This record gives sequence, structure tokens and C-alpha cells, in this order.
Amino acid sequence: MDIQLLKEAVVEMQEEKALSLTKQYIEEGADPVSLFQVYQDALVEIGKRYEQEIYFIPELMMAGEIMNAASELIKPLLAEGPEEAKNKKGKVLIATVQGDIHDIGKNIVTMMMDLNGFEVKDIGVDVSKDRIIAEAEAFGADIIGLSGLLTLAFDPMKEVVEELKVQGLRDKYKVLIGGGQMDENICSYTGADAFTTDAIAGINMCKAWMERVS
Amino acid sequence: MIVIGEKINGTRKAVGNAIRARDKQLIQDLAKHQVDAGSDFLDVNAGTPRDREPDDMVWLVETIQEVCETPLCLDTANPKALLAGLKQVRFPTMVNSVTGEKPRIDGILPLACEFKTNVILLPIDDGGIPKTSNSRMVIIEELVNLAKGGGLLEEQLYIDPLAIAISTGTEGALVTFDTIRKIREMYPKAHVTIGLSNISFGMPLRSIINQSFLSMLVLSGLDSAIMNPNDRLLKGTMLASEMLVNKDRHCQTFSRAYRSGALNIHEK
Repeated sequence: MDIQLLKEAVVEMQEEKALSLTKQYIEEGADPVSLFQVYQDALVEIGKRYEQEIYFIPELMMAGEIMNAASELIKPLLAEGPEEAKNKKGKVLIATVQGDIHDIGKNIVTMMMDLNGFEVKDIGVDVSKDRIIAEAEAFGADIIGLSGLLTLAFDPMKEVVEELKVQGLRDKYKVLIGGGQMDENICSYTGADAFTTDAIAGINMCKAWMERVS
Repeated sequence: MIVIGEKINGTRKAVGNAIRARDKQLIQDLAKHQVDAGSDFLDVNAGTPRDREPDDMVWLVETIQEVCETPLCLDTANPKALLAGLKQVRFPTMVNSVTGEKPRIDGILPLACEFKTNVILLPIDDGGIPKTSNSRMVIIEELVNLAKGGGLLEEQLYIDPLAIAISTGTEGALVTFDTIRKIREMYPKAHVTIGLSNISFGMPLRSIINQSFLSMLVLSGLDSAIMNPNDRLLKGTMLASEMLVNKDRHCQTFSRAYRSGALNIHEK
């Protein structure tokens, strides 16, 4: 298996080449976990290019499609192997808060989180604080991601954090707020642990949190 | 083309700071520049938290009306802020916006009807933005019927077909064009407007995308846009597009804009 060749094909968005190499390596008996790792490494590189404004959102979307197609090929092998495939980085519950229905940013983050090895549960748009907290509890989330584009979203975000405090659950979760309007003032207003305006930066924050825990 | 100038928006950093600091000069300059560039309406969005938004809206309306008589487009989802603003407005006005979501139908639309304003209608409901033009038309029909039932005229309605970021799915713009054609067929007297820049979210070279999109929208039947009127390239694209679809007699609007220097793209 030529790791570099496969990684480069994924990073360069050469879907057919990447998938045919993947098939070829599988036939040659490559270890499925190592194959997955190549894709993960490629994704890190794609994220870097996004941050450098070499790549933009379409490349993230396309990377998602390539990853999903590759997963179809690799997953059947993983199920048979003794290797721990579901060695997830952490659990993230994500929602667009009550009063807001914007979901583009949330959907991109959900996809990128999933591809980056998080177990993500997306409970949709316009979700009440009570449902967010109940779902986070049931899911066993480590991180709650609250999305919103409108200024109207600030107060519902604050209410989620306050309700967590009331229920004595605030320390159980890291709360990340995301959306185009977010900044430090809004972060401290809502009482969230961190804010992000950018999918990749948000995922890097979550990775850092989970590394500190484990 | 009915241009709604988008710049007085508190979610933009400089404007938000000016609102908090009660900096009249900055707001009035923004208003005047947009009017000079040919804005027919000025969008006014305080973008501040709910409890202070009514006061901020009143201050914005009064501040802008001190220097110009251009109709305002009050942009808020907060009925208290809208009512406070509407009470101060001295010229015919517009409300931005009513969607198919219950709080907007119950809180915003009745105020537009009571004050007999123009109103922007958006095909969004509790499930978000529908993917197809047919499902958008279902919401549009409901909203048009409610608005007409409340006493508004069809020509007071500004229907936004909605644009989804092209970066997240390349079929999105076609749905927008298709929705415009359907609105034009059903409601020939209504206006079709759009928040233009959403289309290029997440992309490089946004201005090229916005310009190309605008020309295709005009061909589909768009006759209004919420945009930056001081963007000369965009303005030129708008005027050229209208000329090309036979909405500019002997090209006089375009020619006049050229002679005035308003389209000189090499100047600031």
C-alpha cells in the first residue's frame, strides 16, 4: 500500500483515483484500520488548506462524499476484524437553538466531526433548551454544540447554559457555540466554554478538549 | 430595479459599535452614501439583544430620518422593536420580514398590515428552507393570502425566492430561478427581491459569483435586491442586466449612469 499516493489522491479531490487505489489495496490485503488512518490524515491536510483559504466549503463537501464512498468499501472489513473500529474521539450533540432555523453551518460541522472520528448526534433546528439537555443526557455527550446565525440565537444559547447550571450539569459538558456572528463578547454573554465561526477551528477545539480528558 | 441598501446592519462590527456608542455621524454617512448610490429603501437592522433592540431601532430610525427621506426597511424578527420603529417612521416603509414560522406570522405580519407597509415574504417554515420550488410556493401562497387578507395590496408584497449557498450544493441556484418564474406567473403585480450575497457564502471571489447570479436573477424576473449599492461592479451588472431584458428604454438608465461616473470601476 502506497500511503502517500492514496493520501495525495484524497487531498487533491481525485475521487476515482482514491477509490480505485482503496479497492486495490483492499484486494492486496491491506489493514483496514491503516486505510482509514490514511483518509483521516488526508482530512487533516484538507482542513489545513481550508484554513489557508486554498480550499473552501465545496472541497469540504466533496471530501465528505469521498470519505463516505471509501467507508462503504472499508467498513465491511472492519466489522469482521478484531480491531476496535469505533474508537471514537468523543460524543458531540449538536443543534441549532430555538428561534433559529439556519442549518448549513451545523450540517457542515456535523459532517466534519463525524469524518474526524467523533460520534455526532444532530438533533436538527429550532430545538428547545429542554430537549437539547435531555438529548445530551440520553446520548451521553461530552460536548454540546449550539449553532445559530441570527442575533436572536444569543439568548436561547445563554438559556441552555443557564439551564445546565440549574440542573447541576454545567461541569459535565463542554459547550461550544458556533455561527457567523459569534465572538468573544457573545461567548461570555452566553456563558459557553468557547465560540467558533469556522467548522475546522471548532473541530480542532473539540479535539483539544477530548485529548485533555483522555 | 428597486434597491434596498443593506449596510445599516448592527451585525456588522462597525455599525454595531456605532449603535452602542450612539455615533450618529457613522450611521448618517452610511445612509447618505447609500442614498447617493441610488438606494430606494434603506434596510435598518439593529442586530442587538432583544431587550435593547426597541430603543436601538427608534434611535436608528430617528438618526437616519434627520438626513434623508428615503423609505426605510425595518429589519427585525422582534415585534416590540418593529412596533417602536414603525411609530417613528415618517415615510412609506417596508417590513423585513415575514416567514411561514408562527412567531413571525403572529408577531410581524399584523404590524405590517396595521401600518399598511410593504413587506418582504420568505418561504421558510419550521422545517427550514424547502428544497424545491414547489414546496417554497406552498409557503409563499399561504403568506400572500394572509397578507392580502390583512388588507395589503399585491404590489406591496416583496417575495424573496431565497438563495442557498452554492458551496453547499450546486443545484441550489436553479431552484431560486425556478421559484422566481413561478412567483411571476402567480403574482404578476408583486415584487421579487432577494438577499443577494448569501449565494456566495463559503466561496472565494464572491463578487464574481454575486454579479453572475444577479444577471441570471434579472432574466428570471427579479425586480428588487437587498444589496450593497456602493459596489460599482454589482451596480453595473444590475443596470446592464435590466437593459438586456428590455427594461431600459434606449439604454438611457445605463448610459446616464455611465455619464455620471457612477459606474466608473477604477475610482473608489
